[in-house]
Amino acid sequence: MEKKDIIQSFKDSLFTGLIALALFGPIVGLRTASKGEGLFITTQWGLVFLLVGLCILGRFLINLNSARKTEITFFSKLTSKFSAITEDKAKHFAITAILFAAVFPFLPFTDRYFMDVAIMILTYIMLGWGLNIVVGLAGLLDLGYVAFYAVGAYSYALIATTFGWSFWICLPLAGLFAAFFGILLGFPVLRLRGDYLAIVTLGFGEIIRIILINWYEVTNGPDGITGIPRPSFFGLPFKRSPDEGETSFHLFFNLEYSTMHRIIFLYYLILVLALITNYFTLKIRKLPVGRAWEALREDEIACKSLGVNPTNTKLTAFAIGAMFGGFAGSFFATRQAFISPESFTFIESAIIVAIVVLGGMGSQTGVVLASIFLIGITEMFRDLEQYRMIAFGGAMVLIMVFKPKGILANRKPTILMHGDKK
Amino acid sequence: MSNLLSVENLTMKFGGLTAIDDLSFDAKNNQITSIIGPNGAGKTTVFNCLTGFYKPTNGQMFLHKEDSKISLRKYTDFKIAYVAKVARTFQNIRLFPAMSVLENLLVAQHNELMVASGYSLFGLLNLKSYRDKEQLAVDKAKYWLDIIGLTHRADDNAGDLPYGDQRKLEIVRAMCIEPRLLCLDEPAAGLNPKESAELNKLLKFIKTEKQTGILLIEHDMSVVMGISDHVVVLNYGKKIFEGTADQTKNSKEVIEAYLGVDE
Repeated sequence: MEKKDIIQSFKDSLFTGLIALALFGPIVGLRTASKGEGLFITTQWGLVFLLVGLCILGRFLINLNSARKTEITFFSKLTSKFSAITEDKAKHFAITAILFAAVFPFLPFTDRYFMDVAIMILTYIMLGWGLNIVVGLAGLLDLGYVAFYAVGAYSYALIATTFGWSFWICLPLAGLFAAFFGILLGFPVLRLRGDYLAIVTLGFGEIIRIILINWYEVTNGPDGITGIPRPSFFGLPFKRSPDEGETSFHLFFNLEYSTMHRIIFLYYLILVLALITNYFTLKIRKLPVGRAWEALREDEIACKSLGVNPTNTKLTAFAIGAMFGGFAGSFFATRQAFISPESFTFIESAIIVAIVVLGGMGSQTGVVLASIFLIGITEMFRDLEQYRMIAFGGAMVLIMVFKPKGILANRKPTILMHGDKK
Repeated sequence: MSNLLSVENLTMKFGGLTAIDDLSFDAKNNQITSIIGPNGAGKTTVFNCLTGFYKPTNGQMFLHKEDSKISLRKYTDFKIAYVAKVARTFQNIRLFPAMSVLENLLVAQHNELMVASGYSLFGLLNLKSYRDKEQLAVDKAKYWLDIIGLTHRADDNAGDLPYGDQRKLEIVRAMCIEPRLLCLDEPAAGLNPKESAELNKLLKFIKTEKQTGILLIEHDMSVVMGISDHVVVLNYGKKIFEGTADQTKNSKEVIEAYLGVDE
């Protein structure tokens, strides 16, 4: 490493510090405090200088690292090793992960909190896999995916509370409703691509949320829907004292009553739903329609010149992606037993898109890793309250610095002529 | 030899600009018809009209089938390739770069495979009828890859191929839809002499072995003169000459259009 490089990267870091100063100066440096009968400005320059110093140092280290042209940092070493392992032994990795997920509720350290986090991570994994069809495979950047999650949750909640049908009837219905909304969104955006598509889908997500707030007669507006039936274990409810003529889960199996039963059941429910999503995606990727999605992502004009119908292809992608969002939504509704429009804000869409992009577009394993990483980290820092969003942002920055194409970016062909060479 | 394509009084206007002006020509089965002309003569616009990317202002284009003829005007977009079986390649190569060579060729057989997979239902159930059809599609891809000598790279990404191979791949990808008319937009652009010669061989093979007429836009005169059966020369959207390659070479109008007139 030459002296020139060091000076250069030092200059660069000083410049970064300047930008940081301009940003942190007013945002962090000046605070309003209410004292007596008015607002006063207090300053906290010490903190500003600390932050600016950190920025300079961080930038300098990144520069040093890239100047050496070899990836030596712990993080990138770890991730490249990790992606190598997951690619070489994709099958083993998947089986191990599924086995681990299957025994997870019975591990000694697993308590209620761990289960809740695991259920949340699995919900996001399922959403990520659903969105992966639209964003990763078909290349349609959908920033309003939460709309389908909301449609699924609300249709489940409304059907279940109105007709009293069981979870297993309402789930497919909710999926169908969401798929229908997927097509509804699909039609007006057929001609749009990239940024324009992103903006329209973003608007669609907001439209659904605002309808949910304002259509008071049906959705109960901002108050949300309460008393959504819990799922039952094939007809056996998880209740301490079942109604007349009913047997509950713990009585049937002669167990001590515990709320954990329901949690564990919910965990397996979302695990199975997520695995179905994954299996379906892996299968359909190898079918003509899956290849057409990817071809559409690569070059729409070439697709047309080969006789691929772009309208149908896009609509199926939207519909199927939305359907899985709807399934996840029904699960969310039955788990919470209460839903309101507040659960379906833009930030949810943003998190799901982040999971897909950071995982590596189109990579199923990547979605799992990104979900665990992003949701897990925000959960881990829950005690730090307001700082946990910093952890979330930091995680994103780290991935983008070291793995700009996502954690796992390699794509495997859907069909091989010469078989696997390895 | 029977007519395959007849273009009658084709006119295409963009606002005040007339890109094609009352153009008529025919292309025959099992022949290579070249469209040449200086830059901006309207060659690619003719292609875009034929392949449904533009809707012509005026005029008709007919594709002749045994004893009937279909009007290409009626089809737009993907239907040109799907129904009328007119395939095309592009001036700037449009492969699916992140997909493998084999996948590129399978996407070209999308519509047959879609029916075979029962619109994904049979495929999801992994029925044998679908697997057989898929194998047939792979065999067809292999047949074409053998011809252009790329079988060993079938599983590599199309974007990783050398430029010349990408050109050839795009042509055989178009051939995978079993077109009746193949429109090639400057297939020799950027190729070295060896690659151009290979391209000539490939086009001659398609012409003689397949029931396909070829329409060719090209600047590379070694390609045009080497393989064309018929040449149409455009300048400023008008046809200024039509004839065999030899006639074209010696035509006064053509030389004037390319080199200008002595004052």
